[in-house]
Amino acid sequence: MLKRREFLQAGAALFCAAALPARATGATQAGAGHVVVIGGGVGGATAAKYLKLANPALRVTLIEANRTYIRPYGSSEVLTGHVGMDDLNVSYDALRSRYGIEFLFDRVVGFDPARRRVRTAGKRDIAYDKLIVSPGISLQYQAIPGYSEAAAASRAPSGWIPGPQTALLARQLQAMRPGGRFVIVAPPSPYRCPPGPYERAALVTEWLARHNPTAKVIIVDPKDSFVTDAGMQLGWHRLYGYNIPADYLKDMPADVVNSGRPAPIEWLRAKDGGTPRGIDSAALRVATDAGWIKADVLNVIPPMRAGKLAFDMGLTDAGGWCPVERRTFESTAHEHVFVIGDASIADAMPKSGFSANTQAKVTAQAVVNQLAGREPGEPIWENTCYALAGSDYGLFVADVFRLKDGKIAQISGQRYLPLDASKTRIRLAARYQQAWLKTFTEDCFA
Amino acid sequence: MGPLMKSPFTRSPLFKPLLLAAAIAVLTAWLTPAQAAQPTGAAMAHTCAGCHGTQGKLGRVEFVPLAGMAETEFKRAMLDFRAGKRASTLMGHVANGFSDSEIDAMARYFASVK
Repeated sequence: MLKRREFLQAGAALFCAAALPARATGATQAGAGHVVVIGGGVGGATAAKYLKLANPALRVTLIEANRTYIRPYGSSEVLTGHVGMDDLNVSYDALRSRYGIEFLFDRVVGFDPARRRVRTAGKRDIAYDKLIVSPGISLQYQAIPGYSEAAAASRAPSGWIPGPQTALLARQLQAMRPGGRFVIVAPPSPYRCPPGPYERAALVTEWLARHNPTAKVIIVDPKDSFVTDAGMQLGWHRLYGYNIPADYLKDMPADVVNSGRPAPIEWLRAKDGGTPRGIDSAALRVATDAGWIKADVLNVIPPMRAGKLAFDMGLTDAGGWCPVERRTFESTAHEHVFVIGDASIADAMPKSGFSANTQAKVTAQAVVNQLAGREPGEPIWENTCYALAGSDYGLFVADVFRLKDGKIAQISGQRYLPLDASKTRIRLAARYQQAWLKTFTEDCFA
Repeated sequence: MGPLMKSPFTRSPLFKPLLLAAAIAVLTAWLTPAQAAQPTGAAMAHTCAGCHGTQGKLGRVEFVPLAGMAETEFKRAMLDFRAGKRASTLMGHVANGFSDSEIDAMARYFASVK
């Protein structure tokens, strides 16, 4: 792969001799133009669809490396066999046939922001009026000493971007020795899907209770808290006999009493010495401040930053994420280029599929307005993360976000399922989580 | 202010109450940011689509389809969710993020979807 300077030059070299019109595609019809979307995940697919919904006359091209999308949301359910790998596959056919979005299954290898062009590995040069980039995340395997992409592919899978590592992790879990230890190394913030590592731990614990009842799950964590932490631990306590740490106990319902007996799920926080310092992937163990943690199956969710394409295109800041003007998500690095989804810096919004979906809609409308010479409208975004503490025990985070003093702020107050929620409400949240996997996929891809 | 204060209008007994009413109107508009910066009904409705379907169109039964819903029905549901009068899983949290006039605008949008 090209270095960033070479990448930008690869875009520029092709066009330096050509005099191009100010509007890259020379669009004349009011409000028309060519919008190119790079990345066919939740953000990119939703943006392409909502661009066409807002203005069917717009030409929209989506450039994506893979012909089929593998959805990350709900992918931990593969580990327990609740769904198969094939159930994660999402087709792009509806976006093409129903909305007239043009697809180019290719990789972007060159970018010339001055002339508004991108170049692909398949040697296509594509002019745009507006460019929406939804680059997703990259996993920083090497950020943990001793860990690597090679180790993740063979010995200690991550499975945070679903694919062969997800399938490998499922096989390892199912083959784990009786009484074995399934160790999850949780990532530092910010990362994709904040409740995700803890939902994964819960689903594996539930599965082990039926198939390997003396086995244990240990979460090794560089943090002291996580999104939905109180509700998730209450669920673990009720379902698996988890012992709730003293600092969380005071806010729990009065009937919550720790047994003190060893539980099949344990959360080793930073303050308990849980910060991972290194991985020994040959021996399957994690170095922590509390000593070595030996695993039988080792699932490492490494630190994250913006997807590689964002770095190649010069869209990232020193922290490894993409700064944007918050009203429209236009990149502060390049005019006419918008960055949405997990890669963007969006203040209070979590890096979730739901966030990417509503960011895509706001940005699509802003792009349509810009092309028509209108001001961007007042933005509004939402997030709903459903999470499971067990297959019949649902939790959620629900937020409405507005622009406030140039930053994105949560304005809806209470975010979580209350700790005194009824059994019915908890079961309904679990049912809705399953329903949401379908309705959400339809809103993005169909 | 000089010439205005001397006009016959300013001497009328109605002037002070009128001035007060005008001041209140200006102050109210200034204190209600939602009126100046309200997203369009469509923009707000799009935030519902992840569960309730694109444009509120939903073939499934798990969530309520919103397309074509009568305005009064939508408004009543949202206001009751927001006030905690109607039990919900998370709709109470979501409704808390919208003003009355925004709920009206969303209601008009969904009622207009065929």
